[in-house]
Amino acid sequence: MTGKYETDFENAWCPGCGNFGILNAVTMALEATGREKHEIVLVSGIGQAAKLPHSVDVNVFNGLHGRALPAAAAIKMANPGLTVIVTSGDGDIYGEGGNHFLHNIRRNVDIALFVHDNQVYGLTKGQPSPTANAGWTGSLQRAGVISGPFPPLAVALALGCGFVARGYAADPAFTSDLMLQAIRFPGFALVDILQPCVTFNRKNTYQWYGKMVHKLPPDHDVTDRGKAMTLALEWEERIPLGVLYRKEKPTFEQLHPQVPGLPLGERETPEEAVRALLRRRQAVPG
Amino acid sequence: MGIDINIRVTGGAGQGVHTVSNLIMRMVAGAGYRFHVTQDYVSRIRGGRNAQGIRIGSEPVRAGREEADVLLALNPDLLPDYLPDVGEGGFALADVPSADPPLFRAPLKEMAVQAGSPILANVAGTGAIACALGIPLETADAVFASDFKGDFVEKNRAALRLGADWAKENLPEKIRERFRLPPRSHSRPIILSGNEALALGAIAGGCKFAAGYPMTPGTGILSVLANEGPSVGLVFEQAEDEIAALTMAIGASYTGARTIVATSGGGFALMVEALSLAGMMETPVVIVVAMRPGPATGMPTRTEQGDLEFVLSAGHGEFPRLVLTPGSPEEAFELAQRAMDLAEEFQVPVFLLTDQYLADTVVDIDPENLVVRPLRRHIVRGDSIPRTQQGKYLRHAYTESGISPMAVPGEPGITVVVDSDEHTEDGHLSEDHATRIRMVEKRLRKGVTLAGKTIPPLFTGPPNGDLVLIGFGSTKEVIEETRRILAREGRNVATVHLRQVWPFPAEEIAGIVPRFGAALTVENNARGQLARVIRSECGVRIDGTVSRYDGLPFTPAALARDVRRRI
Repeated sequence: MTGKYETDFENAWCPGCGNFGILNAVTMALEATGREKHEIVLVSGIGQAAKLPHSVDVNVFNGLHGRALPAAAAIKMANPGLTVIVTSGDGDIYGEGGNHFLHNIRRNVDIALFVHDNQVYGLTKGQPSPTANAGWTGSLQRAGVISGPFPPLAVALALGCGFVARGYAADPAFTSDLMLQAIRFPGFALVDILQPCVTFNRKNTYQWYGKMVHKLPPDHDVTDRGKAMTLALEWEERIPLGVLYRKEKPTFEQLHPQVPGLPLGERETPEEAVRALLRRRQAVPG
Repeated sequence: MGIDINIRVTGGAGQGVHTVSNLIMRMVAGAGYRFHVTQDYVSRIRGGRNAQGIRIGSEPVRAGREEADVLLALNPDLLPDYLPDVGEGGFALADVPSADPPLFRAPLKEMAVQAGSPILANVAGTGAIACALGIPLETADAVFASDFKGDFVEKNRAALRLGADWAKENLPEKIRERFRLPPRSHSRPIILSGNEALALGAIAGGCKFAAGYPMTPGTGILSVLANEGPSVGLVFEQAEDEIAALTMAIGASYTGARTIVATSGGGFALMVEALSLAGMMETPVVIVVAMRPGPATGMPTRTEQGDLEFVLSAGHGEFPRLVLTPGSPEEAFELAQRAMDLAEEFQVPVFLLTDQYLADTVVDIDPENLVVRPLRRHIVRGDSIPRTQQGKYLRHAYTESGISPMAVPGEPGITVVVDSDEHTEDGHLSEDHATRIRMVEKRLRKGVTLAGKTIPPLFTGPPNGDLVLIGFGSTKEVIEETRRILAREGRNVATVHLRQVWPFPAEEIAGIVPRFGAALTVENNARGQLARVIRSECGVRIDGTVSRYDGLPFTPAALARDVRRRI
């Protein structure tokens, strides 16, 4: 890759991996923000997707599997001036990190979440992720997946997520635009990105997606949550791409009385303030 | 010996046991006396009943006592359990149909109703005790005014006075004579529980971010941080689980904030993977583990020191850590400040290992004993950020001390890269074996540097003698009072209180133990975990452990009995 955020990091992605398209989309979106590299933090967990931040010359927090969201939320709380973006895999965000996914949507910190959704754990060589369809046979599920798939967009909508969108790794320009909208959205913004896995997912291939996906028409009403929910659950016949739902509401940073102001690391602790807290506990003479 | 009066208040949940102890201690402080308040002290296990001990003295009081001088039984059903603990010359009050000394029939319910609310039986009982102690009832007015609203203030005042009037008429003069506290000048101490002291110490240490998931007995710390932290710009967030709590703290710390999390053993078990992350990313963080009896849910509201070895070894992989073990609310205030500072200086996780006993113990502290240390920041900013010839900042630069200058995101011209994978100096993941060796050694060098700055143990007593008692954390004051009891019997006993258990102060302990005929550890656990650590770290002989693991703290008299049996 080239451009403002180029690094010489060698990722270990398979040729043809959807992550390349997603990386392209991310860097295009970052360029479009006009933000400098020191103003951006990319946060990820563990997995092939989670290595993406190493290929972008910005601040990077590549944490533990499933735990990208709490780290990202706190980074934003500690310095709301930073642009904080999570980019990680479906197993990472929806499986291991499922609880954080639920509660960070509720928390509504102004961060953008890009999920590389390929329905498979690639780094551990081919087990189904939570979004895998029932019946899918993985290396640990010879008889096929029994659990039903996790519907990320529907769950996000149910929890009141203010920005819910779906992108497609094979269309970086389109996905990049969704990412830019998500970054600019004031609040928690989800972009689930359909990502063919050329090595382990023989069903949901570029050809298969090519037949299934359709972009939402320009007249789609992004404020209609009911309609968005119907679209979010579409999968068997056709799969909608684009912004399903968008509605602003106050962010965590706006509502939390102590977050606005200087970054936490730059705040002073005057001795007198500490003394005042101690004095509140001073015995009163009888 | 000066004044030493021990009051026990017992009752069922919701009967206001805590209100009584809170009132009495603040009235006692208002009258110029010193006190120590803690939960249930008695030696028998008594299910879900609440009891508090308020021990009053003319000099600072730092431990409880099993024998009670005064018993207020808000639930008379509990009398068979508690009355036997009332000592010679003491008295007990309960709302019973009839009674013989030392028990007196106090019509608490009737007085409460007369005052305006049946729930004020506890306050009427408090009034009776205040009368016996001769404490002016006005000392309670400020407490009522700050704790209650509307006509409830007046009702409380009335109940207190009805109780006092009853005592004046019904308690024998001899009893009131015995317990009367002579008038005393007032010193205005600061009243702090272990949890409050620790949280305020963290605030004084520059803490600006705290996250937590409620868990007894650590919740009290979160409560102070959430409610009083805002006055210094601290952000508190209740996390969805403990995994998130510590991960959030690490995220905020990466961004430059001083951070703390507080939990108990079970919550810490969930934090362990993030602990390892802090070790790998070299992110400062302070972790409070307020121990309670385990395994699993154990006894949620009781005390134990059973997680020492867990905290020392928690986390996959090898990385340095610091474990501080405050022995009193004053020490909690001091060590919490130092923990915030040391975490940032060494970029390591720092533990404050306490327990339910210390968390809930309330004492009065002279203001001059609460030192607010000047803040030193260790984060590099602007031009002082070292850069390579290519202008890059290396978050994990190799250094002699193992400590790499820490910059935070937002500095123009540089990026800060951290990874849970093994990484090169610039923070990007690496599978290179030579890099691995250098990074392992760099991280461990921080541990060596850290070991050179150990907070030394406190030694008290003769330089050599028959016995040395060694403890860590909350047992400090009980062991010290036990030493004084034994010294009065002519026994040559010394004590060692460990304020830091990791890096272990091996040199100091190895220098002390051989000077004594015998060495015992005193531990609120069953397996003598400190003794094991001392043996493995110093190679010195430890003759045994005085253990207690019924869920209750040690008391000086009982500990003295146990020690006598061992020597």
